[in-house]
Amino acid sequence: MYLLSSASISHQPTFRNKGYSAHLEDLEDDSVLVSPDYSAFIAPMERRRMSIVLKMAIACAKECMSQIDLKQPDAIIVGTSMGCCTHTKNFMDKINESAGGLISPTSFIQSTHNTIAGQLSLLLGNQSYNMTHTQNSLSFEQALMDAFLGELDGLSTILVGAADEIEPELYNIKAKLGLDEELRAIGASFFILSSEKKNENDLKILDVESNSFFKNLTESVSNFLKQNDFSASEIDAILYSSNKKETISELQKMFGENKLTDFQKFSGNYFTNSGFALDYARDMIENGTLNNSGQTIKTILICNNQVPENLGLILLTRTV
Amino acid sequence: MKIFVTGIGAVTAIGNTAAENLTNLKSGQTGIGKSLKHHLMLGEVKMSDEEIIQKLNLPEEDYSRTTLLGLIAAKEAWGKNKIAKEIRTGLIAATSVGGLDKMEDYYLKGQNSENKSLYELQIHDNGRTADSIAKYLKISGCVGTISTACSSGANAIMHGARMMQANKLDRVVVGGSDPLAQYNIKGFSSLMIYDQEICKPFDESRKGLNLGEGAAFLILENEHSLSISGNKPLCEFAGWNNSSDAFHQTASSPDGKGAAMAMIKALEKANLKTDQISYVNAHGTGTGNNDLSESMALKKVFGEKMPPFSSTKGFTGHTLAAAGAIEAVYCVQSILNQAYLPNLNFKNPVKETGLIPETSFTENENIEFVLSNSFGFGGNCTCLIFAKI
Repeated sequence: MYLLSSASISHQPTFRNKGYSAHLEDLEDDSVLVSPDYSAFIAPMERRRMSIVLKMAIACAKECMSQIDLKQPDAIIVGTSMGCCTHTKNFMDKINESAGGLISPTSFIQSTHNTIAGQLSLLLGNQSYNMTHTQNSLSFEQALMDAFLGELDGLSTILVGAADEIEPELYNIKAKLGLDEELRAIGASFFILSSEKKNENDLKILDVESNSFFKNLTESVSNFLKQNDFSASEIDAILYSSNKKETISELQKMFGENKLTDFQKFSGNYFTNSGFALDYARDMIENGTLNNSGQTIKTILICNNQVPENLGLILLTRTV
Repeated sequence: MKIFVTGIGAVTAIGNTAAENLTNLKSGQTGIGKSLKHHLMLGEVKMSDEEIIQKLNLPEEDYSRTTLLGLIAAKEAWGKNKIAKEIRTGLIAATSVGGLDKMEDYYLKGQNSENKSLYELQIHDNGRTADSIAKYLKISGCVGTISTACSSGANAIMHGARMMQANKLDRVVVGGSDPLAQYNIKGFSSLMIYDQEICKPFDESRKGLNLGEGAAFLILENEHSLSISGNKPLCEFAGWNNSSDAFHQTASSPDGKGAAMAMIKALEKANLKTDQISYVNAHGTGTGNNDLSESMALKKVFGEKMPPFSSTKGFTGHTLAAAGAIEAVYCVQSILNQAYLPNLNFKNPVKETGLIPETSFTENENIEFVLSNSFGFGGNCTCLIFAKI
């Protein structure tokens, strides 16, 4: 699928900032979201009720559409692990406070995982395919795989995104899943994909894979590359997320030490940060970035091993 | 490429297996009753968490009820199937509650309670149920979860089929699971859409819905998978569509435009004309808004030639993310038994549309194609079509 446009809101100056990949610095533990001016995307009355995850998603989606002057996508697909968790907590608070009395439904209505995709449909008046995938660290890869299926149904222009927020009091879970608690972050990244190339310079997402309970990293990555007729030496950069020493050393063995970048140092930890990685990869390729060996980066592999038993792979390349 | 249903499993207020569900559908026995725990009319599964853990002989661990119900239904659907290298097998589950039922135990009882470790383990991570079922069935590779509120279960079935059509999988376990969580009980209460008695789908005097809990899973296989598994297909999964109403976050549009679009496009996908549909299993929650909007959509799609239809929500209650999967199992049973399924508590048709649902389990009908509707928050409308082989 060709990548027609993309937009990311994160703890980095990623939004409406072409070439940002050259200036990223490692996040500090106390970093905060770099918020755009949401008033350019959402009316004030609507904005007041919206949780941060919804605001980020809408701004990114609208920015993607305006970049290519798209009126309506043929599908809206969102990957989110935690969904609208601040509204979940708000409604729980309301239940606690109400002592059995009447409760306002506002937070309940806004708390379902598909509020993001549903609100995009409502705001755009879009009647097309609308889907929400929520598979912890593979939520974005699952959404992206769904976008690849769109071609089957004749859906030509697809809006697909990743979005996650944090409710610190409720979602203190990462340690339990074997993850460190550092660099906790939030973010949203949206993309417009098409089976047809629209501009000479459009990048192409060659493939995406979501692999739960994978057994062997080297074998899984090699097979993925082979299916796409790529050898390890043809990959110019690898963006990975993993806290497993074995993963990092296996990737180093396959690709060489100086091609690897731990993208979580830039995005921070959240379950759908492979969305950030895809936007970051796009910016690097479009910017003509050189890798540590002095080669122009043409093809990037994103290797998401954030949860030790889950592997997400995305392959992005320049087509000219 | 043809996609076949080769296994079904269901646990609801009217039975712990697909066969028990069918028995109660035949006898017209509802599973909805006054809940001792929640003091409300609900469709509760008649098995405690402890009973399910014992029945499945599960290792000691904290399980959300979402996972436990899902495991029961998935295990039944999976049956004697085996993992085989030559059959690329995946799992697509659906839930809206996820681990909320355990989390709220902690949260609603106060953050300083001793349940904290439990709470930390069972968060609002919807993917955990799919992971647990996949592990139980030894499925690895493509494991996903869909959460689109009350259409989730239908969407999981559709998504599994699309993965097969794209030649990514040969076989996929698809379905949904949702328990009765305090969160949703209070949530739907805040929307003020409960019937204090058993719901009356498509009746003029309908007052609202009853919540229910449950899970259902189906096994979908392509011809390659069948040639290795040797399974006998129960029916074909012939068509599907998801479209958006784009009207309101929780309410359906007065003319049911999203629902109509989903049905029309699913018929197109299955290459069928409207008069080929033998039976419609409607979403029919029993709320004023849904049943009118769905009736309008049905009239728009089928015109004056409305096929026999019914809602089975009067048996199970509205089981949210499980509903589409449970009703898909019912559609398979309708085909296998060549029978219409009854709509309980119907007396008078909705004034605006005059549609009259089937009210008894009528066998010996000629049922070729069955259509099932599921609609969710966010205007999410999904239609599935199953075909007799």
